[in-house]
Order: sequence, then C-alpha cells, then structure tokens
Amino acid sequence: MDKKKKPDVGIEFCGQKFINPFLLSSSPVSNSAEMVEMAFDYGWAGVVYKTLNSDRINIDHPSPRMNSRNYGSRKLMTVQNVEQISDRPLKDNLLDLLYLKKKYPDRKLIYSIMGFEEDEWTYLAKISEDNGADMLELNFSCPHMTIEGSGHDAGKDFAAVEKYTEAVKKAVGIPIIAKMTPNITDVVPVAMAAKEGGADAISAINTVSGISDIDFDTFIAKPNIHGHAAISGTSGPGMRPIGLRFIADMAKDENLKLPLSGMGGIETWVDALEYILVGASTLQVTTGIMHYGYVIVQDMVEGLQDWMASKGYDRLQDLVGKALPTLGRTDLFDLDRQGVAEYDLSRCVGCGQCYTVCTESGGQALEWDTAARRPKLIEEKCLSCMLCSFVCPVSGLISYKEMPAAWQRQKTAVFGKDLENELKWEPYAGIGGKDGFTC
Amino acid sequence: MSVETVKDRFRCMPEGMTMDLAVVEAERCLLCHDAPCSKACPADTKPGEFIRKFQFRNYTGAMRTIKTNNILGGACGVLCPTERLCEKECSAVMKSEGRPGGSDRPVRIGDLQRFIVEYGRSVGFQPLEVEGDAAGKIAVVGSGPSGLSCAGELAKMGYEVTIFEALPEPGGVLRYGVVPFRCDSDFVAKEIEDVKSLGVTIRCNTPVKNSGAAEKLLTEGFDAVFLGPGLWDSFSVVDNAGDIEGRWSSVDFLAAIRDSRLDDLIKTFKGKKVAVVGGGSVAMDSVEGAIRLDPESVNLVYRRSYTQMPAEEEERIAALRCGVNFHILNQPVEYVTDASGKLTGLKLVRTVLGAPDASGRRRPVEVEGSEWIMSADIVIEAVGNKAPSGLASAYPSVKTDDKGLVGADEETGATSVPGIFAGGDIVRGPALVVEAVADGKKAAKAIDAYIRRGK
Repeated sequence: MDKKKKPDVGIEFCGQKFINPFLLSSSPVSNSAEMVEMAFDYGWAGVVYKTLNSDRINIDHPSPRMNSRNYGSRKLMTVQNVEQISDRPLKDNLLDLLYLKKKYPDRKLIYSIMGFEEDEWTYLAKISEDNGADMLELNFSCPHMTIEGSGHDAGKDFAAVEKYTEAVKKAVGIPIIAKMTPNITDVVPVAMAAKEGGADAISAINTVSGISDIDFDTFIAKPNIHGHAAISGTSGPGMRPIGLRFIADMAKDENLKLPLSGMGGIETWVDALEYILVGASTLQVTTGIMHYGYVIVQDMVEGLQDWMASKGYDRLQDLVGKALPTLGRTDLFDLDRQGVAEYDLSRCVGCGQCYTVCTESGGQALEWDTAARRPKLIEEKCLSCMLCSFVCPVSGLISYKEMPAAWQRQKTAVFGKDLENELKWEPYAGIGGKDGFTC
Repeated sequence: MSVETVKDRFRCMPEGMTMDLAVVEAERCLLCHDAPCSKACPADTKPGEFIRKFQFRNYTGAMRTIKTNNILGGACGVLCPTERLCEKECSAVMKSEGRPGGSDRPVRIGDLQRFIVEYGRSVGFQPLEVEGDAAGKIAVVGSGPSGLSCAGELAKMGYEVTIFEALPEPGGVLRYGVVPFRCDSDFVAKEIEDVKSLGVTIRCNTPVKNSGAAEKLLTEGFDAVFLGPGLWDSFSVVDNAGDIEGRWSSVDFLAAIRDSRLDDLIKTFKGKKVAVVGGGSVAMDSVEGAIRLDPESVNLVYRRSYTQMPAEEEERIAALRCGVNFHILNQPVEYVTDASGKLTGLKLVRTVLGAPDASGRRRPVEVEGSEWIMSADIVIEAVGNKAPSGLASAYPSVKTDDKGLVGADEETGATSVPGIFAGGDIVRGPALVVEAVADGKKAAKAIDAYIRRGK
C-alpha cells in the first residue's frame, strides 16, 4: 500500500518556498542564533530576526520590560512590553545569522531592520543582504521606541514609510516586507505607501498600543520602570481579532495586492488557519512562544495537516484568502431570513446561565422551570442573538435554527403598564411631519 | 520516635488551597441561575454567592458572604461533609438526561470556603461587625458550634452575650471532639476570635451544672438562655462492663489528644494492639488518631457492612490509607481481661445482614457459634454520644425525652420554658457542625423576637 501522502503545508511567499507558514516574529524569541536554532529544530520554517540596530545609537532595554494581563486563571491573555530593538552589536547578530544560514539552508532568514534616518535604512539593508538575508522586514511599527521619530511614529507617517522603503529598495535586490502598526485607523493607505516605495509584501500586526495592569498602591501601570510607565505594545491571544481584521482589510483591497505575513495572538493551528483564510500566507508568532515555548509549531503543523486531510485539501496555499469573498459588507446581509435558538435539552445540565443572559441581555425569551431546572424557549421572543449558546457550558447544546419565511418575531411591548396614564411622550414636528421622521 | 515528633503529627491540619488553585477551581463554577448548592447548605452559607464574588475578584466580599451567614464558615469549610451537602447539588458535575451520572466532579466548595476565609484573614479583613443596637443580656450554655453561632448572631444585633463553657478552652466539639490534624487548634481559635470580636464574653471552666442553674440564669439578669451543651457521654458496646484498664470512650480519647493527656497517650499506645469499635466519623477520627501513636496495630470493628458505615466515604478511605484493618460484620460481645483486670482482648461474634431495621438499613444478625477473640490492649468505643445523665438537672423544667435530648421547636429552638432556647446535638442527637450553626442562627432570631415583644 502506498504511504499516505501528507497534505502540503508549504507556502510560497515573495517567490520563495517556506516548508510551512510558521516564522518566529522579530522579538525576544528571535534574539540570537542559540534561540533560533532551537526553534528550527522544533520545525519553524524561518525567522524574522530581532530588529537589527546599526550600532550608531546604543540600545538599552527598560527594566523590567514586560507584564502579563491574565484572564482569571489563564495567564498571558495579553502581554505588555516596552522591549526595544536588538541591543546586540550588529556584527554579532550578523555572525549569528550567518551561522543559521549555513546550518539550516532550508529555513528562511528574514532580517528585521530599523533605521532612524534614510542612510541608516540603506546601510542596514545592504549589510543584511550581503550577510545572508533571504528577505528584509522593515520595522515601521514598534509602538514604544524610546527614540523619537522611530518605530510606529514612522509607520503612521505615509511619506516616511514610502521614503524609507524606497531607500531600501534601491539598495537591495531581495524581497522587502514592510511591517505595519495597528495603531492607526486604516492600514491600507500606509501599506499602499510601502508598496509605492517598492515593498514586496506587508506584515501585520505589530503590537497594539495599550495598557495592561495598574498597580493600586503606586498608581503606576505595569511594567513599572522605576516610577514611570508608558502606553506600550500589547500582544497575545486577546489581540487576535484585531490582527485578523488588519490582514483582511489589506487582503481585500483591490489595489494593494501584496503577499501578507500575518501575526497577532497565534497559538494553535485554528488561529493559524483563520489568518490563512483571511489572506495571510506566512504567519509569525511571539507571545505564543513566550507562553508555551517553540514546541507549539509542531501542534500547529500537525493540527493543520490532519484537518486538511480530513477535509481533502492537499495544499495549504490553496486556502489563502478563502474566507474573504463573503467577508465585509453588512449591506449584503439578507435580513428577511430569520431564526431562533434551538435547545437540545437532553444534554442540559441545568445551570440556567442561558436564562440569566436571555433575561438580562437578550429578548426575555426563556422561562425557567424551577422544579426541573430547565429553560423553556418562547420562540416568538427569541432575538437569535445566540448569547445563550455562548455562555452554555455544554458546547453544541444550543444551535441556530432558521425559521420559515412567514415566521415573525414578537415585537418588544412597551413596559410600565402600571404607570401608563402618567407617561406622556412629546412628538417633535419641527423636522419631518406630524407622523414623525418618516419621509 | 521522640514524643515531640509524635506530637507534631497531631498539631496541624493539611494546608489548604493556594490562590492560584482557588481561582482555577472557582472558574469551574457554572454560576447557576438558581444556585442549588446554596439551597443545600443547612446554615445558608450561600456558596453560590461567595464563589461568584470570588470569580469576580471580590475576594473580601466572598469572605463577608461566608462569615456573615455562617460565623463558623471557616470551620465548616474544613469539617463539612460537603459531598453530601452543597457539592452534591453542584451542576458542574454536568449531569444530564444523556449522562445521569455526570461527566465531571463538583466544584470543591468546602475547600474554596476555607481558602476564602484564610485569604481574608491573611489580608487582615474582618467582615463581622455589630450592626444593631438591641439591648439585652443573653446567656449561652456551651461554646460549641450552636452556642458560638447563636452568640455571634445575637452580638451582631447588639446584645450582650456571655457564654458559659465547662471545659478549659472554648470550641466544644471543634476543639475536643475533632482531631486537630483535621481541624487544628490555631484555626479553631481564629474562628472563636471572630465571635469574641463582636463583644461576646466566653467564661471557660464555668459549667452550668448545679440543680436548676440554667433556669436560674433568667433570674440573674439574663433575658434569655440558649442551651447548646452538646453530648459529652458515650454509649458503650458492652453493658455494665465496669472499669477496665485499656478501655476508652471516643469522647475521652479525642479530648485527651487536645489536652495535657497527650503525653500519657503517647506512652500508653506505643506498641500496643488497639481496637476501635464503630463505623462513624468519630470512629475514623479515633482510628487516625490511634495510628499516629505508633501502636502495633489498629483494628476497626463494626457490626454492619462497609457500605452501611455512617462515616463519609472519604473518611473511610483515609482511615484505610492510614493502615487500619477493617473487621466489618463483627459485633463486640464482651471484654476479655487478665487476672488484674487489664484488657487483653475483645470477644466478637460474626454477623450477617438480615431484614431491614427501623433505620432502613439491613440489620446485623449474630451468627451462632461464631464467637472469636480479637487480641487487644486498648479498645476505643466510638459508637455514639449521649447526654451525660445529670445534665438535665441544670434545666429541670425544660422538657427532655428519654434519651436526655431537649425538646425544641425546629424553627425557633424554643423549649417548653419561655426564654430558654436550645440547639445543636442536645436537641438533634449527634449531628453536623453546620446543622448546629443553623440551630444557633434560628434561635438567635427567635430570641431577638422574644425579647422585642417584651418576653
């Protein structure tokens, strides 16, 4: 019998072949060859190496430099950091990268660089290309550089993005990825500026500007750098919906049409697949590694392959952007089709969380059978918000059921019958007519 | 093994949860709309509410819920058989029509309750305060769970409460009836401190025992009296066995562990063959206590079957893990002594289960000719507590039954004598700490009503 062929999770990105989509992102987890070697041994396809510094400016990291925001017992729902770019001498970093290049010829080395002026960008780009870089990632997006005019200060400035990208493009022949900040209303114009400057791909998102914990004794946010805190970079699973949105925004744009490298809260193959489906082709990870180690790449690869095999997909590449065609316009919703929640009460454990949420956040469509400890749905009142299904501790017990076209939801009645005679509403005839603002 | 090493085995109960564990455990709570756990607590400690508060990081509020509803909430967290009370009703077991046995375990409510109280103490939080301005003096007889609960409730209302305690230290069964490695003296002391913090006076070494003494309190300046003396005498397995060296009642044995007699116990039990008779929680405590004294062996004798034992399953398993040998379906017949009257063994007869008795359990029937002698130097009898015979003379007008139990209204604790209320084991017979707490609360409410309506 033939050996079963595993689905191909390889990805082509900027004309280069990656053994899988998973890369270390430019961060503390990609700070040295010693670290990246471990990651490669676990199966990561490449690295976006910790942002190189030209040695012109000395980099000191604040101490302490991170904080974790927990959610109940779950640690690192988000991570807060004021980490700077690499504090290592450029030569040391390049030697480390050359070592990796020699030892891992099948992995991709993407050098992240950040200059503080045009010449510096050019210098870093050139020296990177001359010392083994397969690609460059331009860091336009660090939200907490301690040096003015760098990081996301540059990334919010369309002209600067275009100018620095152009300088790099002029200097090198390898592909250039521009890394976007999410700390902006619309990412597309910035990505377009990078494209104008010659970028071959876009990566997003860098960390979201945020605040995690505040200490209640000192009233100083964390990390507390000896009396001072900052609005700084937030990463981790809590940021995932935002990352997905930025990738989708760029993937859907008719003019941008550049390959995308997605990141923001990726920990599992499910997260990875969601990024792929909204248009990312390579994926970058930091916080997931901070929390669980490099080993998670194995579960992401295995999980993706098994899911693909179960669905009959041979190539991950074919799935890039699969969710995009239906994603976007609310005016396309068919509002004539309505439904309700449907309960499989044989699996109900009787906690009544559905009853609480429906009564206090939904349509008051549930009654509670006190003796049996079971909810009873009044279908006509169900808003199909589905909140009940989200709080239910038994997954799949509550599902959505579409109702026939003729079905009508009961309107919410005016409350306060007991005070009916005392309640007088004041019509406004100044605009529209006496029947209200109807025409 | 030095005496101190042996003593160490008795000093402390196992440590409770950590904050990290408590947070994870509380997250398992489904925050039931109708909190069936709360409905199952005899003392209305409101687990549904304190776990919700804890989940929302309202840690001190969680402690407030526990302690204001159950002033011995810490001790109950440690001692309650939660698996057949609050935890029995827990929906996190995930029982459904399709899975009637459930697919998970209940939230560890008792452990959380203890943790929340310990956490609150560790941050110096004291939720109890005198809230009312009621005027009046109340006497409480006995500083066990029902007395402490009643006293605490009344003190919160503003009453001036004095507890009369016969023994040298307060706490009743919490101190003298439970082994310290299950609920230690420091922990009990903190629970009692909480009661005292409300202004309750506890007078130890002050038994109310003289003829009519409890009733006289009503003429000595007290507006009402609460009786919670507990049951401090033991039933015996062999009638009229007399004084035999090596024969202990569980009441004496467990109290000796807590007081100055522990040194003697250590000497007496070392290397000896010990038999414990009984199948309840006290028997299991006695077994675990005896094993810690380095005897040669500990045998448990019980006349019914393993599943009929009143002890909680956890307690039975804990006792087995300690290394006791269970001899079920064996009924003690008589003590065997040597010429000097010293115990050498226990004569047993095997039993089989017959028809159900009044308790609904199948009755043990002796097997004729199956007598055998279990070699034993020491026997601890743990077959139930009863009221000491002279106790009722302190309240001669109060109606009692043939067992010496006080007749009291289930809802109010009112006895046949106006102004005298009662609760706990002296009313119920052997019962749970949490039930005694409930009695104390109800009686306090009734005493308040009694005083407010001008007696």
